[in-house]
Amino acid sequence: MNDDAELLERIRNGAPDDFAEVVRRHQSRVFAILHRYERDAHKIEDLAQETFVKAWRALEQFDGRAPFEHWLSRIAVRVALDHLRKEKRRQNEIGLPELGEDALDWLRRDDEKDELDGRAAAEILDLALRALSPADRVVITMQEIEGRSVKEISAVTGTSGVAVRVRAMRARAKLKRALEKLVKL
Amino acid sequence: MNERKWKQLFAVVRKEAAPAPSEDLAANVLRAIRTGRSAEKPETLSIFDQLNLLFPRLAWTAAAIIAFSVAADWGLTAAGVPDVGDGVSQISAQWFLPPNEF
Repeated sequence: MNDDAELLERIRNGAPDDFAEVVRRHQSRVFAILHRYERDAHKIEDLAQETFVKAWRALEQFDGRAPFEHWLSRIAVRVALDHLRKEKRRQNEIGLPELGEDALDWLRRDDEKDELDGRAAAEILDLALRALSPADRVVITMQEIEGRSVKEISAVTGTSGVAVRVRAMRARAKLKRALEKLVKL
Repeated sequence: MNERKWKQLFAVVRKEAAPAPSEDLAANVLRAIRTGRSAEKPETLSIFDQLNLLFPRLAWTAAAIIAFSVAADWGLTAAGVPDVGDGVSQISAQWFLPPNEF
């Protein structure tokens, strides 16, 4: 992290091209976050670029109290949230996609040995998560997929721990209902 | 959906790896930053753009001048001072319509 501090200091002192090094260091982390909210690789690339440009513009506001990676993660989650809001409006206009055969089979069967591949799982979850608001989706993704604590989610989203707990509980219930609806398809 | 399936679903999704960033990402970010910076430079505004920007101020100034003139005319008339109309009549009588000397 000290390396980050030195690098950022150099950038602030008039070496803007060194920001490329910041991008190289943190691009995998930013991609990993954005991948949870968008499956299209090209769109993830665009969102990652937007994240780094926003970080550049807000660089003066980074005070170094928290690690740079946490600060950048917060920006990436906000970019993802804005993206989800735009997508939600678009999805309301074009309707929902259909599930593939593998995904439907897995949903309908209740066999413990039934395997689920990554693509089908992502398809199911993506469709079910559309029933949630973008903010609910961010909380449930961070909690259930990224395995983050309430405290971490609270820090990233800028809401209180109680608000995160309540939102997570409601989001979980909504997601369960959405998944049950998919089973009945 | 039962708890076992719920856990299985999330466990599989959790294992999904993110795609790798392109090699150009850093260069693209720098390009976007530079483009943004050049876009932030002040542009040369045309006379019409400047008038558009100034329009609210100009409109308020014009309204204030009109209001001041009306108030001044009303005040001076009330005080018995000859108004602008009287002055114009006097000038035209003296200069443009002189008494017939022939």
